[in-house]
Amino acid sequence: MAILEATQIHKSYGNKFNKQEVLRGIDLRVEKGEFVSIMGASGSGKTTLLNVLSSIDKVSLGSIKIEGKDFTGMKEKELAEFRKQHLGFIFQDYNLLDTLTVKENVLLPLSIMKVSKKEADQKFQQIASELGIYEIASKYPNEISGGQKQRTSAARAFIHDPSIIFADEPTGALDSKSASDLLNKLSELNRKINATIIMVTHDPVAASYCSRVVFIKDGQIYTQLNKGEETRQHFFNDIIRTQGVLGGVQA
Amino acid sequence: MNLNYIIFRNLKKNIKNYYLYVFALIFSVALYFSFVTLQYDPAMEEYKGSIKGAAALGASSVLLVAIVAVFLLYANTIFIKRRSKEIGLFQLIGLTKGRIFRILSSENLILYFSSILIGIFLGFSFSRLILMILFKLVGLEAQATLSFSSGALRQTLIVFGCIYLLIMLMNYMFIKGQSILSLFRVVSTAEIRVKRMSVLEILIGLLGMVMILAGYYVSSILFSGKLTGTTELFATMIFILGSVIIGTYLFYKGSVSFIFNAIRKSKGGYLSLNHVLSLSSIMFRMKSNALLLTIITTVSALAIGLLSLSYIAYYSTEQSARHSVPNHFSVLLPEDAAKFTQALNGENIEYTETRRDVIQIEADVAGIVGSDLGEEFGNTMILPVVSDHQVEGVDVSPEETLFTGSNNALNQFMSLRSTGQIELRGLTLSIPQQLVGVDKDAVVSQYFSLGLPTAIVDQSIYAQLAQDLDPKLQSKSSVYIGIDIPDASMLGKADAIFHDLGFSEQSGYMSQPALIFDQKSSMGLIMFIVGFLGLTFLITSGCILYFKQMDEGEEEKPNYTILRKLGFTQGNLLRGIQIKQLFNFGIPLIVGLLHSYFAVKSGWFLFGTELWTPMVIVMLLYTALYSIFGFLSVLYYKRLIKESL
Repeated sequence: MAILEATQIHKSYGNKFNKQEVLRGIDLRVEKGEFVSIMGASGSGKTTLLNVLSSIDKVSLGSIKIEGKDFTGMKEKELAEFRKQHLGFIFQDYNLLDTLTVKENVLLPLSIMKVSKKEADQKFQQIASELGIYEIASKYPNEISGGQKQRTSAARAFIHDPSIIFADEPTGALDSKSASDLLNKLSELNRKINATIIMVTHDPVAASYCSRVVFIKDGQIYTQLNKGEETRQHFFNDIIRTQGVLGGVQA
Repeated sequence: MNLNYIIFRNLKKNIKNYYLYVFALIFSVALYFSFVTLQYDPAMEEYKGSIKGAAALGASSVLLVAIVAVFLLYANTIFIKRRSKEIGLFQLIGLTKGRIFRILSSENLILYFSSILIGIFLGFSFSRLILMILFKLVGLEAQATLSFSSGALRQTLIVFGCIYLLIMLMNYMFIKGQSILSLFRVVSTAEIRVKRMSVLEILIGLLGMVMILAGYYVSSILFSGKLTGTTELFATMIFILGSVIIGTYLFYKGSVSFIFNAIRKSKGGYLSLNHVLSLSSIMFRMKSNALLLTIITTVSALAIGLLSLSYIAYYSTEQSARHSVPNHFSVLLPEDAAKFTQALNGENIEYTETRRDVIQIEADVAGIVGSDLGEEFGNTMILPVVSDHQVEGVDVSPEETLFTGSNNALNQFMSLRSTGQIELRGLTLSIPQQLVGVDKDAVVSQYFSLGLPTAIVDQSIYAQLAQDLDPKLQSKSSVYIGIDIPDASMLGKADAIFHDLGFSEQSGYMSQPALIFDQKSSMGLIMFIVGFLGLTFLITSGCILYFKQMDEGEEEKPNYTILRKLGFTQGNLLRGIQIKQLFNFGIPLIVGLLHSYFAVKSGWFLFGTELWTPMVIVMLLYTALYSIFGFLSVLYYKRLIKESL
């Protein structure tokens, strides 16, 4: 069953005299339990794609369905409701609230959903020990490392069992050890609880953890790679090769 | 695109952000200008003689300038910090520091001096209104006409010109002292340092609350008679002031975060959105603004307190005049009374006359004085004594005495009980009496009572005492003559006659209307000045809190972005912000109101006879005006939240 179904999405900025088309008809289907990464050069529109897929930005044309529900025509209030029910976010710069402790940050999405305190505590314990942040639950963001921050951010994204999780360059600000830690955790969660993750990245190593890689170029899907039964190293080589072809200006 | 274009564009952009600053500037210029205009106005001349109105206005205009100058300089530091990035950018594209300074100066010049011109214009139009308010308050029935005074204009321009130069100097130092890199960093060095509560902070928080409460407690017993010596009293007042002010500082520094932290702890990490936006943010922010908030709280408490006290005095004028002299007029000698009534007859003014024989008797009051103060006087007082036959509606038995015309301040200082044993002593006699009560209404003038209560005794006792007088204690007259004018419209005329007969100059001759007028005019002027200074302070401090909120909002904008991405609606966020602002503006307000309440309560009886009505009116007015800034800041946040995604 398709969790996310985007058909012919267009996105352009500017007015009718000076139009900049960023997305030019993208079709994308993501099945439940997939770990998809979106790759592309700077300016290819990958972040814009993530923004429209995650309802933070509006499309100019086309429809996007998540769990069969089309949200492109929704009002601000419905959208907010939709986001808190169905979506989870991980950002490059963590986006944790400085004034809240790790636990408070993680439990934030549950508090809008009016989950009981006991249930929330249970959830936190489960996800926090999964991501290895249980010991730092009462610390403030400025007291923990970047890797721990990003795992906190990830815990916040997973805590309310969203239909789909969007990650925007989650490893962008991390050192390689923390990055591989995080990616391992993500793919573990992906397998264990069958979570659906869409990740934007320009790092081929990060992309090699995924089950599928979508390459974007000039606002269109250029090609896709499936990992299938390959090893991660093999898949990584494939990605590098594709990127090499894709990367040139002359293409 | 030349430099002028840049200046113009900046100006346009800034006005939208700083409309409140411009408003505060215009307001303060207008107020200052009208104060100075009053000072230069010939109409004040006649007023000058009696209570030095112009001098008081002059002194308060200096205070006004001080408040405004501090405000403008402070606001400027906030603004220049906000623009540091822009300044850095200008330097980056190759403008010299001197050039940038010139851009800023000319920008400010236009903004500042156009506000001043508008302010002067408004000030001139309002000065007549202000003069009318003043006349109304002091009870002067004069036509409020004003002419434009070039002296006032010159003074206003000079004063605000100086402030402008100071601001420029500050900007110059700021630009000079900063490198490009540090300018870019100014904004990003956040004020808050988020840390967990340490034991020290908890102690500070507790200490703050204890100190405030201790100050309140001591203030409530300040005038209760337990403390008597002047130095003791003075030391106690200093203690109260110090304890409350330091306590306030510690309160903001620790107590607020301590209390909020306790609430947070109890949630076990599961915070609702309203808590996220209000508790967690205020916890850390109040701490860094502790000094500013302490100053604002203290000065606003001072303003509310002074205003309440002067309003209490103003409000109780009639009562205290009646306390000084129970009838409309009082003369000492019977022949003067005859002269006065003759004159009244001549003008066809009806009157009623009251005569009471008064003797001065030594009384032993050891049985009713609660404080140690009595010891110093050997527990005796010289009291005026009146027979119950001569006071309407009073009848006491031969064993009983009724005190009347007691004074609030005296009651407090001596902690007089309203019942107990006393002894009235003549030259040889000593008559024990039971005090049955203390009334407020005076029956003789202050000339006889000197602020002490009057003793009403049974006719038989009065006769005994009158036979046995100590001549040394008696005053020039032994009869109180009071004259009432039943027709209120004739009162003014009667007062004029009283004045014409030369009675108003002599001691012991009293006129209620003149007393009321005197007190109204002095208290009215004080109220007028304190009121306008308080208003200026209120508006400037409200603006500063608002600017602080603007800064805070900018810093927290990324948080709103996160929260909206997580699925909180604008409405959700706004509700949280409303709660936050309720605390942000409410906590300093409530602390300020509490401070002034205890200050007023400890000494109000020295000023008048009515506590609640005047104080509550002043406090409500203050709260209402203050809340406006809270609402404005919520509106600002609303825009910010809307823009955040």
